[in-house]
Amino acid sequence: MDRGQGTKKRTLELASIATAIVIWEIVARIIDIKYILPSFTSVVSAFIGLVQDGELYRDIMTSLNYFVLGIGLAILVGIPIGTMMGWFKSIDRAVDPIIEMIRPIPPLAWIPFAILWFGLNKYAAGFVIFVGAVFPILINTYTGFKNTPKVLVESGKVLGCVKNKDIILRIALPSALPSIATGIRVGMGVGWMCVVAAEIFGVSTYGIGRKIWFWNDLHHMDMVLTYMLVLGMIALIIDRAFRYLVQVWWLKWQSGVVV
Amino acid sequence: MIKPQKIFIIAIVIGLVLLSGCTAPPEEEEETTGFGELRFGYQPSTHQIAYMTADAKGWWLEDLESYGVTSTKDFLFPTGSPEMKAMLAGEIDVAYVGATPPLSAIDQGLDAKIVAGAQVQGSDLVLATALPYESPQDLKGLKIATFPPGTLQDTVLRKWLMDNDIDPKEDLTILGMGGADAKTALASGNVDAVFLPHPSPTIIESEGTGRVIVQSGEMWEDHACCVVLVTDALIRDHPELVEQIVRTHIRATEYNIEHPEEAAQIFADDIGVSYEIANKSIHDWDGTWVTDPSIELNTTLEYASVQYDLGYTDKLLTQDDLFDLSFYNKIMAEMVEE
Repeated sequence: MDRGQGTKKRTLELASIATAIVIWEIVARIIDIKYILPSFTSVVSAFIGLVQDGELYRDIMTSLNYFVLGIGLAILVGIPIGTMMGWFKSIDRAVDPIIEMIRPIPPLAWIPFAILWFGLNKYAAGFVIFVGAVFPILINTYTGFKNTPKVLVESGKVLGCVKNKDIILRIALPSALPSIATGIRVGMGVGWMCVVAAEIFGVSTYGIGRKIWFWNDLHHMDMVLTYMLVLGMIALIIDRAFRYLVQVWWLKWQSGVVV
Repeated sequence: MIKPQKIFIIAIVIGLVLLSGCTAPPEEEEETTGFGELRFGYQPSTHQIAYMTADAKGWWLEDLESYGVTSTKDFLFPTGSPEMKAMLAGEIDVAYVGATPPLSAIDQGLDAKIVAGAQVQGSDLVLATALPYESPQDLKGLKIATFPPGTLQDTVLRKWLMDNDIDPKEDLTILGMGGADAKTALASGNVDAVFLPHPSPTIIESEGTGRVIVQSGEMWEDHACCVVLVTDALIRDHPELVEQIVRTHIRATEYNIEHPEEAAQIFADDIGVSYEIANKSIHDWDGTWVTDPSIELNTTLEYASVQYDLGYTDKLLTQDDLFDLSFYNKIMAEMVEE
């Protein structure tokens, strides 16, 4: 893509965002009921206030703390189980019914047990995020290993890679990496959505999700919308950062593949 | 010949139109002289038995029928905050609610007024059985669950803590949640204390997981608690109906005061707790059922001041923003004349 095309693309993106903001402001002014649709300007003003008093920073760090805990655990659990299920048929047969039974249960339904098992603390919040994130990681890892091309495995064996451990680490894992990366990316998206649910039940007085409920209780919908947009912006940053890491480091060998 | 893809797209569009109700016949309009369905909001608390009594005895419909009310519908809310959200959305006309949730709602644009009082005091601070308590200072470092920010319990608790030189943000943790969640959190040891309206304190004591250490009347004597809130639209368009709502509320409240055992039974049947718990709660609490909104006026204005200081409301609300005493005063004036 040449420079001119890049500039045109950016201009189009900015024009699209600017148009959406103008429409939002006009509609809000026409409705003129701030709790139905707060205006863009009132949201910007609320955002500036939150940044100035440092509250937003504390909320973001609290939510990220829960998120890292939940996602970290989901990766540690999801990848090994997905690997074993994808590689060993007997493990797949034994574990799959359990996974498929638990997978459809919404993370929200786990909240009572999160409180009872972990208490009202960050581990309970992390657990709810873990429940949301672990299955996309596990299923994508499973799929990645399951779809390892037979020709790669057989070529590896011909070249002396005969032990199961070596085949998994040197052939199946690199082959499954794009799928695992997709799983982590989807898992992070779902996990971040679970942040709001994880903070409903009062594990802390800070956090983006907590503040959405706090201001909702007081009917300050401009603040609710501000925190919602912050939630969305952080999700975007996390996603872009992860994609960048994957493209320049993890799957550098696969340049041109979009994950 | 029409392509299958086009048929598929047309079918989807027709389906969406049908689902969106565009083709549904218009709803029957209310008779111009009638009101139709009157919608109430209330909470599972002994504070609001007046609503339940009038409902159980059929007084709402009996008294309001001549004003065009053809039916009544009620919605049970765990706390005042979602109840006010429903009123903001235009889903309820009359709310039995704590005096504070309307403050932030009115501040944010709800058009409604308090037309009658319902009850004063009546909430207790309950501490886990194993924890010692001699003074408010013993609460430092503890986790206390209460109703969410902006509710009456949250406001009274925070003010009482501040009055006792305890910073509610730094010295302890206040967690906002519904009554059922708070009781579970105390029972499972996830919080150290709860501050809840009756009958929750009686239920907790009967389960042996906590003991009442301070009643809300000790925290703030004669503090306003529940009120009857009516939308401005109802006041403006159907003032005679609002007057009758206040009359029926007075009738039910006086009945409850004269027949507390029956009130306990009505509450037990409505909410699904045992009669023994309901009756014990009514005997143990420090609350009083009232009807005069002026009894709750001063402390409600104090709540407004506290909420303004806490940053919960954008402006300092006044009596004119919150109360319409005319209906109650008119009824009382007529009673004096009689």
